[in-house]
Amino acid sequence: MVQRILADVWRREAPHVLGALLRRYGDLGDCEDAAQEAAEAATSQWPIGGVPDNPRAWLIRVASRRLIDRARADSARARREALDLARRPDDGGVAPGADEVPATEVDDTLRLLFLCCHPALSRPSQVALSLRAVAGLSVEQIAAAYLVPVRTMTQRLSRARTTLRGAGARFAMPPDEELAARVAAVLDVCHLVFTEGYTRTSGETLVDVELAEEAIRLTRQVHVALPDHDEVTGGLALMLLTHARLPARTDSAGDLVPLAEQDRSRWRRDLIAEGVALLEQILPRGHVGRYQIQAAIAAVHAEASTYQATDWMQISVLYDMLSRVAPAPSVTLNHAVAVAMAHGATVGLALLDPLLTDPAMRRHHRVYAVRAHLLELNGDVEAAAEHYRRAAQLTTSLPEQRYLNRRLRQLGRRWT
Amino acid sequence: MKYVILIHSNPQPWGHPTGDYLAAYQELPDDVRKRLDAEFEQVMSELQANGELIGGEALGDPAAARLYRWEDGSPLASDGPYSEAKEHLAGFFLIDVENQARAEEVAAKFAGPGETVELRPTMWPGGDDQ
Repeated sequence: MVQRILADVWRREAPHVLGALLRRYGDLGDCEDAAQEAAEAATSQWPIGGVPDNPRAWLIRVASRRLIDRARADSARARREALDLARRPDDGGVAPGADEVPATEVDDTLRLLFLCCHPALSRPSQVALSLRAVAGLSVEQIAAAYLVPVRTMTQRLSRARTTLRGAGARFAMPPDEELAARVAAVLDVCHLVFTEGYTRTSGETLVDVELAEEAIRLTRQVHVALPDHDEVTGGLALMLLTHARLPARTDSAGDLVPLAEQDRSRWRRDLIAEGVALLEQILPRGHVGRYQIQAAIAAVHAEASTYQATDWMQISVLYDMLSRVAPAPSVTLNHAVAVAMAHGATVGLALLDPLLTDPAMRRHHRVYAVRAHLLELNGDVEAAAEHYRRAAQLTTSLPEQRYLNRRLRQLGRRWT
Repeated sequence: MKYVILIHSNPQPWGHPTGDYLAAYQELPDDVRKRLDAEFEQVMSELQANGELIGGEALGDPAAARLYRWEDGSPLASDGPYSEAKEHLAGFFLIDVENQARAEEVAAKFAGPGETVELRPTMWPGGDDQ
């Protein structure tokens, strides 16, 4: 029971404990280690002495002491830093008192995310570090979530911390001229974590953390810190509207159910309502970025009673906007589907032609999967079969491969 | 994204690193061989440091293999090698990298004269519902 409370407290307090330490002592790796040791101390002491009234202050105090101890044991340079640290008042007061509005809380989380999503790091490192430092997940949990050994994840994290140290990255708000790009990176990392969680079908692996929910939790925190940032709001809306489909996207055998065949009565109306409400706040303001447009598309899907009843005209207009704001092969693919549904398969197929000569997409399974669908719609069974076969060869997703092979089989049955 | 890098080779006699037992590799000028070795060392430590290397093994002589074939409703064991093919699986590495381009860059560094390096994506238990 105490273990459970401890885990919850830790997940909630991790970014604030780290924030308090980082403000006084700059190195992320050292601060993370100290915070981890404080969490371990809590594990052994709280079950006996009870959870302290102010767990955050307790954790910060213990972690600070560890940092000072370690610095004293370290080199002369570190010793000077320790003296500097010791000279400052031992402010358990870094943690807010009961009457204090924790204005620094949201900033702590945001600053920590900016640090973890520093441009010197690769995307996978940004993701891993954010889950560790901001979401407070253990290395074991992150490794399990990304299906890699703990050792590999440990290497990734320590490499990332070394890179941050080398880049002189600091726990601070980025300068104004960098802010837009840095927020975009944070949002991309949150969305990447979400996608990793959402696209995973259950049953094959046992993971005790829900990455999609972690991503939503992180994005909510960014949204609280930056309530007027429309793309952040759009990103949150997109995740909520997509996550709403989760109960319907796998069947009882754990196989993938495509959007067209999902039982829409199982979609989570609460998440849809929240996502739509967020969108209604921001869309009238006019300056729409890619997350807002994608969220708008998800909302149109969410509001349709069936796949056929979807407002494909509106969706194709939105994809047209998206292909101008954030052109990408995946956007072209979805645009083609929407156009095919709105104006006929032939028009959709024509949109795909440029992708066939794009070297990056020539071996991408979705080009063939989408073409197969449209060819099938057009009644060109032979070409559709050929494309399903090619798509099934190229995909690396087990459930998608099963789905594509099933479509191929069904086609064969009708064909012969 | 996870990939396996499969080294198909036929060192004579069977041994590791395979290049030490491949005529085509040994015939290379000294400086070229040294450069290839250094590049390989470099990419291995890079993979390790980045947390991109998940694991790998060097495999024993194909003659040491045991083969199991189904016959009359039960497995029938025999001695290797599996085939009379020119090359055998000599070793493998499992990597987890950001994208296909990085996987290709890494795999190319594993190539050497006298053997074939195969890069294959692994399947993952997820997918898109669009």
